[in-house]
Amino acid sequence: MPGRLIQLRGITRRFGSLVANDDVSIEIESGSCLALLGENGAGKSTLMKVLYGAIQPDSGDILIDGRQQQFRGPADAMAVGIGMVFQQFSLVPALTVRENLLLASPRAPWLQVPGAPGLDTVLEVLSRLAPDLDPRSRVADLAVGERQLIELAKVLNLDARTIILDEPTSVLTPAETQRLYGLINEMVADGKAVVMITHKLADVAACADRTAIMRRGKLIHAGPTRDMSRQQMVDSMIGAGSPASASPPPPPDRNVARVVVRELGARTETQQVQGISLEVAPGELLGIAGVVGNGQTVLAEALAGLHPLTAGDVTVDGISVAWRPTPPVPDGRVAHIPEQPMLNAVVPTLDLAANLQMRDIRRRSFWQFGRRGQADLTVRLQAADVRPPEPSRLTGTLSGGNLQKLVLGRELAGEPSLIVACYPTMGLDVAATRTVYRQLFAHLARGASIIWFSEELDDLLEYAHRIAVLRDGRIAGIRNRDQADRAGIGDLMLMHDMARSA
Amino acid sequence: MPTLARHERLAGAALAALAFIIVALGFFAVIGEPPLATLLSMAEYAVGDRYSLSETLVKMTPILFCALAAIVPARLGLISVGAEGQFHVGALIGTGMMLWTQPFDGWLLLPLVLLGGAAGGALYGWLPGILRARLSVNETITTLLLNYVGVLMVSAAVYGPWKDPGNLGWPATIAFPDAAVLPQLFGTRVHAGLLLGLLLALCLHVLFRFSRWGQSLDILKGNVRVGRMMGLDYRRHVIIVMALGGALAGLAGIGETSVIQGRLQPGISVGYGLTGFLVAWLAGHNALLAIPVSFLIGGLIAAGDTLQLFNKIPASSATVLQGLMFATALAVPGLIALWRSRRG
Amino acid sequence: MDEATLILIAGWVAAILRSATPLLFVTLGETLSQRVGIINLGIEGEMLAGACFGFAAAATTGDPLLGLIAGGAAGVVLSMVHAGLCIGLGANQFGSGLAVWMIGLGITSFYGRAFVGGQVDASGSLGGSWLGDSPVLAQLLDNLSWTALAAVLLVLLAGFLLYRTRTGLAWRTVGEAPEAARAAGLSVPRIQVSGVLLGGFLAGVGGAVLSVDYTQTWAQEMTKGRGLVAVGLVIVARWNPYLVLPTVLVFGGAEAAVTRLQAGGFVLSSHVLASLPYIIALLVVVGAYAWGRRGSGMPEGLKGVFAVRGS
Repeated sequence: MPGRLIQLRGITRRFGSLVANDDVSIEIESGSCLALLGENGAGKSTLMKVLYGAIQPDSGDILIDGRQQQFRGPADAMAVGIGMVFQQFSLVPALTVRENLLLASPRAPWLQVPGAPGLDTVLEVLSRLAPDLDPRSRVADLAVGERQLIELAKVLNLDARTIILDEPTSVLTPAETQRLYGLINEMVADGKAVVMITHKLADVAACADRTAIMRRGKLIHAGPTRDMSRQQMVDSMIGAGSPASASPPPPPDRNVARVVVRELGARTETQQVQGISLEVAPGELLGIAGVVGNGQTVLAEALAGLHPLTAGDVTVDGISVAWRPTPPVPDGRVAHIPEQPMLNAVVPTLDLAANLQMRDIRRRSFWQFGRRGQADLTVRLQAADVRPPEPSRLTGTLSGGNLQKLVLGRELAGEPSLIVACYPTMGLDVAATRTVYRQLFAHLARGASIIWFSEELDDLLEYAHRIAVLRDGRIAGIRNRDQADRAGIGDLMLMHDMARSA
Repeated sequence: MPTLARHERLAGAALAALAFIIVALGFFAVIGEPPLATLLSMAEYAVGDRYSLSETLVKMTPILFCALAAIVPARLGLISVGAEGQFHVGALIGTGMMLWTQPFDGWLLLPLVLLGGAAGGALYGWLPGILRARLSVNETITTLLLNYVGVLMVSAAVYGPWKDPGNLGWPATIAFPDAAVLPQLFGTRVHAGLLLGLLLALCLHVLFRFSRWGQSLDILKGNVRVGRMMGLDYRRHVIIVMALGGALAGLAGIGETSVIQGRLQPGISVGYGLTGFLVAWLAGHNALLAIPVSFLIGGLIAAGDTLQLFNKIPASSATVLQGLMFATALAVPGLIALWRSRRG
Repeated sequence: MDEATLILIAGWVAAILRSATPLLFVTLGETLSQRVGIINLGIEGEMLAGACFGFAAAATTGDPLLGLIAGGAAGVVLSMVHAGLCIGLGANQFGSGLAVWMIGLGITSFYGRAFVGGQVDASGSLGGSWLGDSPVLAQLLDNLSWTALAAVLLVLLAGFLLYRTRTGLAWRTVGEAPEAARAAGLSVPRIQVSGVLLGGFLAGVGGAVLSVDYTQTWAQEMTKGRGLVAVGLVIVARWNPYLVLPTVLVFGGAEAAVTRLQAGGFVLSSHVLASLPYIIALLVVVGAYAWGRRGSGMPEGLKGVFAVRGS
């Protein structure tokens, strides 16, 4: 029986000049699932963190069962039955499943010797969610979907009546996603209130009976899901001018392969790939699909010559670009746009000028007395659309979008033959996303080959000329765009799960 | 460490100096000495007259070299505390050079001795460098442990095969012949090593600021992965900076041994390695700033010696003050950050 | 095995355990400190302070137990400086540790001068009439003081606390994932301070055991880098208190074995002998890195301190 549980009234929260939540009022009902829909940066997470007590609003009220609440921290919110499962899990990888649950439970006994009373009660919820999970296994060894279940069990162990899920399906395989949908529906049937932050319409269709849409900090719409069409949702989410306004050049005539990957193998402590063979033509955009953690990172680095190979080779225009023990002078043949650019693509402690010019460090003359003209650098920064275009600005202070534009400005400057791009638009706003795509497509038109790692199936299906699916460190299959559809690609990503449960 | 803006760094340095003076006054009060008078006499003993000043410069020389020995690896983000060991091995190999070549007394002797010192130190920096580069063994721990081995190697030599029987049992080698010793300046104990140190500090500063090498170090220090993307070899740079740092400390060792001590014997260093590390840190790993800071600390140590002589305060008070100075300098940026966050 | 051999072995074990007792305390202390994510190089200074002030207290009062307590207290006081600098003010842990070491070095040579050459009475031996007449046990226990027993029991207790209680779970979480600890409602700074102070206490006690119980005398800089050796041994013991015991004993055993070599006619310079602890410590640390996959078992929270960005 749905009933009014929580009211948020006039919530406003600013971060500096950015208004993350602008006078947002919304109601959350028990026995119901609310989908909080919106683009990245629309303010969904901020709003829910306010409700969870992790962020204090500048103004506005939180009412629970009609009573006004003051949350000083998540502990206060938890005390009235509000729990949140974050995108970045708060599990401790080095600890076991049981230890993680004990850590989160206020009823955990002090003495935790085997057989101590109370040691198994923390496992009760989890054993219903995931009967096969061994509580003694280390969280580090578990799949993302399993970790999410533990995280959920943690929240349910606190007797939460309201459960907030932050982008819960973004890291799951299609099979895991289906299981989560089932779970959400169970919780709703149980009378709990579920709020799901998402930007995927599939999530909404599967379990949300109510939908709220946010854009640029404002609540655009709230009401029963059945009252809205898919198109209405997209329109109110994105507003005018979707990122799809850019489109890639048509697929090239693929008689010649510019990039040849032959039986490539590589391994790190946590990931490995083997037997990877790919050919990419000039002007071709090859997408690599797959659930995160199937070897993407090591494959991307191996392709870019940044990770040693255990087997095989990568050639561009017939010349090997594979890793060598002594790094060669970069010739600009391969551009690499790594994931998490702040961590992997720039030196945050140096200024924009240093990061922009870094590619020629090995070719510079030894003495560097005269500095290059500031005006020239400003022009380059403006051309790359980095704001503000101040060469002496510290790179660590840039926002995600500007940072990625800086990286593109540097990596694509040398007219590379191969571009290895890993999740290049992750976490970017609409405008920055559009810039990134436009730049990549321009190089495609020039004749560059692009290998593009993405976890957004819809984007891959829309832009990539071909899609290869990476599963368990191998290529599970390659599909041309005209033969590819969501279900087919999903099957390729999924087979691993079916094989394991069979 | 919290990052501070430029004006905050300047204010921080001033604040650290002030805080240190207060802490030092407190320390003197605790040990029952008149605080202000003791502090003033320390300043006088450091720079008050020609002799004091020359003694300060004598102490400053090895400290400056050892500071540079810590600064070079620090430019790559490495925390090498190995100057003490490198100092001793430099002294050892340099002295070995002297013992080996001294029958042919000639102009070549001095360069050979200096080269031996640098080579010994470099070797002793190369070892933790290669361990770091090849096996990722933490360089701080290896250099700290190697320090003790380096000191004991000198002891083994001077108590054993290199002991000069003419010393009546005193563990020391024969004296360095004049041709193997750097010239002394102004008729004091100050020697040409100081000039060499100043020159090297200047050269290193220019290299760090204005050379491809310095910029490569900046990139690798900030992000090893990105360095690799740009074609920079982290391992090679690790070995280079560790060996170069070691060479600088080795030069300090052979200079101190040949000029100030006159022979290799135990106790050639009074903790110059660790003091140099402190100076490097206080100077913010800036080679040029290391010059004034090592002058300051050299003065502190020289004054500590004089204080023991005239005021009967143990010279170890200088060690306590060094530790307190280091702690104050580490505390100030955090205090500023705290103050800033309190203000909102 | 005949009784004579057993007696010989018992004598060996007792000798190793006796000489390893100070290091056992110190290594355990450093392990606990690093478990909460704080590397403490100042442990060398804390151990030295424990040795100096512990000896002073024992020599003044004539009570070895008071000496150990005073030593522990001295260690705590110095570790408070480290805790304040790193946890309170976010200073670099290596830098802060060296500052603490320097302060300890200076203060102990400053105040310790009065006690150089002094003597104290040893604390009681474990042996006694209650043993009955087993010569093997007698050989073992007569040569051990209760500090050795206390050290072994403390190692076991620390292991139990860390792996089998909620408090230990909280400590491990803070060292592994401070963010997750905060999310679980734990006070990260408070637990880190507890870890550092407890580490300082154990280091101080270890130093006091060295001066009061083992050498029964005080000399300047008498710890000679034992605290730094402990920092290396923590890596070898993989941050596991239970493994601290075998690690320290094997280390002590290797040291003792080489010393015995000399007795067997194998002549070594006393300076080479003196450098053995450092060389052995270096070798085991390098070995731990080379064969143990780099830094395995290292709490995640420490990796930011130990590692260079992106390497």
